[in-house]
Amino acid sequence: MLQVQQVSKYFDQRRSVDGIDFEMQRGEIVGFLGPNGAGKTTTMRMITGYLKPTSGQIWIDGLPMHEPSRKARTKIGYLPETPPLYPDMTVNSYLRFVADLRDVPARQQKLRISEMIDRLGLQGRERQIIRSLSKGYKQRLGLAQAIIHQPDLLILDEPTSGLDPNQILEIRQLIRELGEQHTVLLSTHILPEVSTLCNRVLIINDGRIVMDGNANQLDQSLNEKFQVLLEVKTRPDKLRRLLDNWQNVSTEYLSSTEEEQQVQSIQLRLQGADDTDFRERLSLLLADARVPILELRKERLSLEDVFVKLTTDNDPSESISSTDAGPTVISSGTEPAKEDHADVETVLLEPAKTDRSKTTDGEISAITHNKGDDAK
Amino acid sequence: MRRMWAICSKELQSYFLSPTSYFAIAVYVLLSSIMFYVSFVVYQPSILDYRLILGDTLFMLLVVIPLLTMRLMSEELRQGTDELLLTSPVTATEIVMGKYLASLGLLVVLVLCNLIYPLVMSFFGPMNLPLLWLSVLGVFLMGAAMMAVGLFASSLSQHQMVSAVIGFVLLLVLWLMDSFLANSPSSSLQQWLTPFSLSGRITNLIKGVLHGPDILYYITLAALFLILSIQVVERKRWR
Repeated sequence: MLQVQQVSKYFDQRRSVDGIDFEMQRGEIVGFLGPNGAGKTTTMRMITGYLKPTSGQIWIDGLPMHEPSRKARTKIGYLPETPPLYPDMTVNSYLRFVADLRDVPARQQKLRISEMIDRLGLQGRERQIIRSLSKGYKQRLGLAQAIIHQPDLLILDEPTSGLDPNQILEIRQLIRELGEQHTVLLSTHILPEVSTLCNRVLIINDGRIVMDGNANQLDQSLNEKFQVLLEVKTRPDKLRRLLDNWQNVSTEYLSSTEEEQQVQSIQLRLQGADDTDFRERLSLLLADARVPILELRKERLSLEDVFVKLTTDNDPSESISSTDAGPTVISSGTEPAKEDHADVETVLLEPAKTDRSKTTDGEISAITHNKGDDAK
Repeated sequence: MRRMWAICSKELQSYFLSPTSYFAIAVYVLLSSIMFYVSFVVYQPSILDYRLILGDTLFMLLVVIPLLTMRLMSEELRQGTDELLLTSPVTATEIVMGKYLASLGLLVVLVLCNLIYPLVMSFFGPMNLPLLWLSVLGVFLMGAAMMAVGLFASSLSQHQMVSAVIGFVLLLVLWLMDSFLANSPSSSLQQWLTPFSLSGRITNLIKGVLHGPDILYYITLAALFLILSIQVVERKRWR
């Protein structure tokens, strides 16, 4: 469906995209991830024919997009970062205009437009001036514009950015439906979006693809150690006696445990030495000691962690020095704690957290925030 | 072809919705009416001739036309809608020609506004109609060439005001081609430049002489700037 072969783009000697190489099969929904300025939009603009690659080739269904080709352009639908709308037009006249541009046969136009209006929930707004539409409706109209000609390949550049949580859910549902008929490439920096929507993930950083794989495989492949999140109600000193030195499992206290003698709810993260599941043994251990479990949850290395791993310490020549980048990887954050407990790895989460936000200039805080939203 | 008409009708629509075009036309009509009043009502000439006021109104086109063309391409670039146009199957030629046709539609409105004055004059006695129609044709041809220059200027910048100024300067240079070297010693250069003057070429038509090269000049000028605009738009795609 789409072949991108060794595509590079330079803007006045500045490298924006550097030898990107990937393929997409018909029916795939591919998430295109990367920090701001990684080259996502530039790549998408090259695929849609808005920009010409400095070198390399792009084929859409066997038609070249790296050369001026009208035919290749009929096969794509494109929603840029800001929907390309004319504020003075009405919804209806805008859709008719796009249908004309996209070679929708005159006989089908009426049908297609009413279909778009139904599908994107724009009923009752057909005669409204686009300027007066809310952001969510503008985004929907932008999507309608991209799919009105039933393209084979749909390119969506951050389709959910700037929308409120309900609108995000609606747009995602829509994209999922679209994925049944079209091949979709969507860019985002909201990570949970990728795991809920896409069957494949491409992570791009500094103009290069650093990861290409299945969203579920992705965290498995990087998740070497088994982790659980635990919340219990007991005295900290009792818990320490139980868990310290328990079967090579390292503990990390997430809540304060200053008042050792007080019964309180304690949150902690446990990490095994390898990927064996120790949840059963753990629950039995706690039950035997009559320590009530409030919560016990298997924790997977989230896409966020993968993302941070891949986009911060992938290239040692990056401005981030290796000492700074260290704490972003969970296992290496254990060093300071090791001195306190010789045989038990205790990771102090707080310092690691601050280091993390330092290294990735605010990008990560946005991601964590969004994850929170999504969890609701 | 349908794509070109789609662009043309969209542009016409936005012309009739945008306050700028109404404002520009209103100013044009107002000023030319004042001129008509001064030269026809105040001075009360002994002959009924449209050309009495034509010269002054023509000069105003220099200001009005860049105001009418400035948004044609600039607005697309500023709104980001060029991304829609350039990633759809539309060719650069269709984009430019669609927009140009719309601007010609507006030019027809302008020329029709100009016909108010001969209409008023006709109440006072018979007019020389062939002469009038030739003048109208001259105004239309010159305006059409100027619209192409304005469209080209608009494709150069995403700021409407910058486009308008570029358009005005380009038109002014073309307009004054024959006169701004009038007093210079190198008369050969002036002679060489005179045939390219925007204002010089219309004199024959206004006199009532239908001269092939004059018409060809305006058409060529329009075509030249349209081709340049197409190149600029095409270059945007293949940056």
